[in-house]
Amino acid sequence: MNTRHRAVGAVLAVGVLSALTACASGAGTDSAGGGSSSLSIYAWAGEIPDSVISGFEKETGITVTVDTFDSNETMISKLAAGNSGYDIVEPSQYAVQLLVDRNLVAQIDKSKLEGFDNLAEKFVDPSFDPDNAHAIPWAWGTTGILYNQACTGKEITGWADMWDPAYSGKIYMLDNMLSAYIAGLQVEGLSATTTSQDDIEKATQKLIEQKPLLAGYNSQNYADLVGSGDACIAEAYSGTTAAKAVMANPDVHYIIPEEGGTLWTDSFSVVEGTSNTDAAYKWLNYTLRPEVAALLTDDASLASTNAGALELVKDQSLVSNPAIYAPADSLTKSEFIVDPGAALSYFQDGWTRLRAS
Amino acid sequence: MDRIISWIAGAVFVFLYIPIAAVIVYSFNASEVGYRFDGLTLRWYAELFGDRMLGDALRTSLVVGLAAAVLSTIIGLLSAYGLVRFRVRGRAVFLAAILIPLIVPEIVLGVSLLTIFSSAGIPTGYATLVLGHVVITLPLSTLVLVGAMSTLDPSLGEAAADLGASPWQTFARVILPLLRPSLMAAFLLSFATSFSNIVVSTFTSGVGTTTLPLRIYSTLRTGLTPELNALGTLLVLATLGLILVVGVSQMRRILAGPPTPAA
Repeated sequence: MNTRHRAVGAVLAVGVLSALTACASGAGTDSAGGGSSSLSIYAWAGEIPDSVISGFEKETGITVTVDTFDSNETMISKLAAGNSGYDIVEPSQYAVQLLVDRNLVAQIDKSKLEGFDNLAEKFVDPSFDPDNAHAIPWAWGTTGILYNQACTGKEITGWADMWDPAYSGKIYMLDNMLSAYIAGLQVEGLSATTTSQDDIEKATQKLIEQKPLLAGYNSQNYADLVGSGDACIAEAYSGTTAAKAVMANPDVHYIIPEEGGTLWTDSFSVVEGTSNTDAAYKWLNYTLRPEVAALLTDDASLASTNAGALELVKDQSLVSNPAIYAPADSLTKSEFIVDPGAALSYFQDGWTRLRAS
Repeated sequence: MDRIISWIAGAVFVFLYIPIAAVIVYSFNASEVGYRFDGLTLRWYAELFGDRMLGDALRTSLVVGLAAAVLSTIIGLLSAYGLVRFRVRGRAVFLAAILIPLIVPEIVLGVSLLTIFSSAGIPTGYATLVLGHVVITLPLSTLVLVGAMSTLDPSLGEAAADLGASPWQTFARVILPLLRPSLMAAFLLSFATSFSNIVVSTFTSGVGTTTLPLRIYSTLRTGLTPELNALGTLLVLATLGLILVVGVSQMRRILAGPPTPAA
């Protein structure tokens, strides 16, 4: 055989060998998980800092595997297919209800929890998970408005400013059905959690009215656009991106609209049918500790649901950044966005008409 | 007229490659926000090398890509050989069946694969990822290789047989070397498709087997950082390096001239 054949043969052999060893090592860790030596978590990217994972691994000796998903819907379909292999998932608040309806998450045994009292009052017995029966809140944030004062020329106070023709062509709304409807409903004085078809129709009309003023529906880089002044005002999620935009440019501000705004929460739930319940509860107890929860703010720039964590955060400027921790007085009218249930079809119908108009 | 065409061609190339150049330039951006350039730094590369999860995802993608591309090329070659060489009954149906995954939306394929795997009790992981990727890359490699086999001069094979070569020897020493560029093309096309695939990977990946595009896509919600630009730059450099190595060996072969009878 000449050298070319040998080279091709070598490449093939290496490829097959590495695939086999990877399969073997993958299968190895899966089957070794029997007891409590491994924990598989399915979570949002960037919401579980490396420092939390390595701290947990060092203390308990349990190997943690974190996989990330891009949307609650992907996570729910993975779990619904069965045998996902995950022990802990991190659903958003409305996804908790969807998972409970399909019996995909286990009921939390409060007697096994330590530190449950550390949670802030707002997240104990929330509307989307009565009595915290299925989820322990971890991170929270708000949906509000990110604006550039140099571009708008004045202070923005609420959703109503996003219908102002003075900013035509420089307004962005989030490319997410329920998020856009928050603005449409609250600007009309209606509740963001309504399931009434008439209310939803009113909001649809209001959103259709807004569409000609918009530069677009954007959930990816609205923070950069507002920061650079290409956009004046955008509907935004609080969190890392908004925080960076606020810190980088003194003209950029994040506010909760006076009409209310909404809260989102990502919580940890135990997957139904998992055999690693010990490891799962160890994880829940670990993340309920104030000093661990403080790492969420320090390393991931997100707001923690843990009341004791606030004073333990090392970088206090993050605590006073409204794009991460919304001031309590601005949240008086904020609601949790929950699963609309059967009303979802009214939203979907309105959204389809809005995007086609 | 020629000048206008070359100007237009140049403009098209610039248009195509400006995003890649921008990715490389911004990987050195000291600013945390994407719209401003605040100075040069290597901090994103340092962060990239320390990012364990991204490294794992890259390794997973490479392994799955290689395995899927190898399998896909082999099966594609065998299918092409059979389809072109022999008068198979139902040839058109078989070819159409292979091409179906090209037309069916990937999300339908992904959900169906997940359903099948879970009903069959196969745990999601490397095996399901590779199988899923073979499904979507097989049409591509088959098409490329059917095209290549059809253009092969059949008289060469006949001449080899005439000179006493067995069918295996004809295949190994006449057909395969002639197909080498097409095999390379099918392999690279399959690898590229598998490496960049998101939809099917979403449904067929399992615990600890998140692929690189999945990991990147899932960071959209919390914001993309220039660490990804650093990763992109390294991938571009790796590709350029690969092309350089292959190109150099090709040049050597051309310069060395046709093989001497003793080889």
